[in-house]
Amino acid sequence: MKVTCPSCGLVGKVMFDRLFDASAKVVEIHDLTKAFGKFTAVDSLNLTIFKGEIYGLLGPNGSGKTTIIKMLCGLLRPTAGSAKIFGHPIPYKSIMNQIGYMPQDTAIYLDNTVHENLLFFGGIYGMPKNQLEKKEREMLAFVNLKDWRDSLVSTLSGGMKHRLSLACSLIHEPTLVFLDEPTVGVDPELRATFWGYFESLAQKGITVIITTHYMDEADHCTRVGLLRQGHLIADGRPGELKEKTRTRSLEEAFLFLTGRKQS
Amino acid sequence: MRLRRTLAFSRRALLQFRHDRRTFAFVLIMPLLMILIFGYTFGGDVKGITVEVMNQDAGLTPGSSLLLPDGLFLAKEVTQNLDENVLSLHINTNSEDGRQIVHEGKAWAMIVFPANFTQKFLASIMTPDTIPSPKIEIYLDGSNPTIVAAILKEVTKSVQTTLRELSASLNISEVDMPIAIEQIYAYGGDQTRFIDYFAPGVISFAIMMVTTMITIILFVNERRNGTLQRLLVSPASESEIVVGYALAFAVIGVIQSIVVLVAAILFFGITIVGNIFLALVVILLLAFGHQGLGILLSAGAKNELQAIQFIPLILFPSILLAGLFWPIESIPSYLQPLSYLIPLRYGIDAERSIMLRGWGVGEIWVDIGILVLFAVLTLSASVLLLKRRN
Ligand SMILES: Nc1ncnc2c1ncn2[C@@H]1O[C@H](COP(=O)(O)OP(=O)(O)O)[C@@H](O)[C@H]1O
Ligand SMILES: [Mg+2]
Repeated sequence: MKVTCPSCGLVGKVMFDRLFDASAKVVEIHDLTKAFGKFTAVDSLNLTIFKGEIYGLLGPNGSGKTTIIKMLCGLLRPTAGSAKIFGHPIPYKSIMNQIGYMPQDTAIYLDNTVHENLLFFGGIYGMPKNQLEKKEREMLAFVNLKDWRDSLVSTLSGGMKHRLSLACSLIHEPTLVFLDEPTVGVDPELRATFWGYFESLAQKGITVIITTHYMDEADHCTRVGLLRQGHLIADGRPGELKEKTRTRSLEEAFLFLTGRKQS
Repeated sequence: MRLRRTLAFSRRALLQFRHDRRTFAFVLIMPLLMILIFGYTFGGDVKGITVEVMNQDAGLTPGSSLLLPDGLFLAKEVTQNLDENVLSLHINTNSEDGRQIVHEGKAWAMIVFPANFTQKFLASIMTPDTIPSPKIEIYLDGSNPTIVAAILKEVTKSVQTTLRELSASLNISEVDMPIAIEQIYAYGGDQTRFIDYFAPGVISFAIMMVTTMITIILFVNERRNGTLQRLLVSPASESEIVVGYALAFAVIGVIQSIVVLVAAILFFGITIVGNIFLALVVILLLAFGHQGLGILLSAGAKNELQAIQFIPLILFPSILLAGLFWPIESIPSYLQPLSYLIPLRYGIDAERSIMLRGWGVGEIWVDIGILVLFAVLTLSASVLLLKRRN
């Protein structure tokens, strides 16, 4: 089966051998705009993201990545424009159990143990006990926190908290995950594990939307959008963007596109 | 509203309190300390008030009465019936004017029995219409109303006791006695002490402080740590969040009130005449209303430090205007209307009515109605606040 990406016209190699319909639109964004007073944080964003993609929102601090994610999650109201998730216009409540969200802040309870946090975040998705226990073991192994299961979160290191935060976003087996800077403060070895896990999620047809300001790791994404001051200045596969700008890395591509570097 | 999701909130909050000793201490130690400190300082009503007694009573002329025995010195009887625990008596035998002693602050009062005290008493029994009752003169240092009240209460009590004993031993009816002041208590009585009055107030005050402060801190942290964002991006509804926390506070409130009441019973032997379950229902209503208030206030603080600044804002009106220590009737009349705006007032009033008077819903429905209204309003407002998006 040959699938052409309707937004960029490319045929991605990862799309070939999938069992699911990779042309299914998961996120559709039309002219999405967010202004804080006179300041426009996100300006007329148009973007479509498909099932099973790992979409990377790339851009320096303050370029509007978090604002986009928050609007898509229903935490911020768009000033203009619209967006649909699984065909439901935002804000939605009916499909919330399909969504996983890892906020940029380490959003976990410091005065509870690792176990209690996982149990709670599974619990608010109404997961039955035995399924929750099984999933908890899997998550603890994935984020390498097995030995800290009964430790209070306030006693963990920054990186450990971050890992737990990721686990809390994934425990209920969402089909669409928004990860806001999931790799900040994570050591290189574990970062590789993370990307491996995200790729395995994508293989299962789960759509992963990741923000990062580390350009180097964006090569793991199936598609990236480069953001600058609230504008989407480029959108495509990492290889394609590098090719188009005749640069060797996404970082150089970004600088080229913002006119700060010649190729 | 799904029960499983709602309970997940309650469960997590309760587990957090279990880990967080600081909060735990706040919940239990604060009300216990209050009841111990205030119970012991205010509670053990005034004792050992120094009082001079000047007894000039000459008794009866022998053989002057068939009714009263010759050796009767009524003033002596009254003096003997004064409670030596409350009044520390000094019998003044000098003829010099004892009033000087009160003036100098060496005694709070001077009780003077005139020379014709017993005689006048006899005369007033014989011809009650023409002869005025005998008089006890009390010369008082009125600078402390509590002490004045205690002295007057003691003297009245002792006169009553003396007359009762006398009527019993002489086999005459008490009705014929002059100065027969009878006190019949509708509720409580001579035995009601400050601590009995204070305990229902403390449990109301404690639940108010604990739920308001903990809710503010919990929700300030929910916002600041970003956990609230996660909750809002979940199938859990805003009302499930609010109800989930409310159930946790219900558990805390019941535990706290029971611990405080048990302590008050063990240490001070307070008696509760009313329905303890109704008392707990009022506690829960107070908890729910103040939880709602706490969520609303939490929107005004960015961090725990700012949240702490709400303490005086909540503490002072409650302590001063809600009738915790002294009756609302005793605060200046222009401030009294303000007390109607303080929900704690209705909680304290209801708890006192239940615990001291044994009243039920029929008598305190206004209090309960206002507390229900307060809880419904603040909780729905807090659900709306959580639903709000920028
Ligand atoms: N609530 C807010 N009020 C005002 N300005 C905001 C608010 N949230 C974000 N901004 C501004 O919007 C811009 C984009 O922020 P953000 O989306 O957090 O960027 P990023 O996640 O890419 O670092 C920044 O300049 C930020 O200061
Ligand atoms: Mg950000």
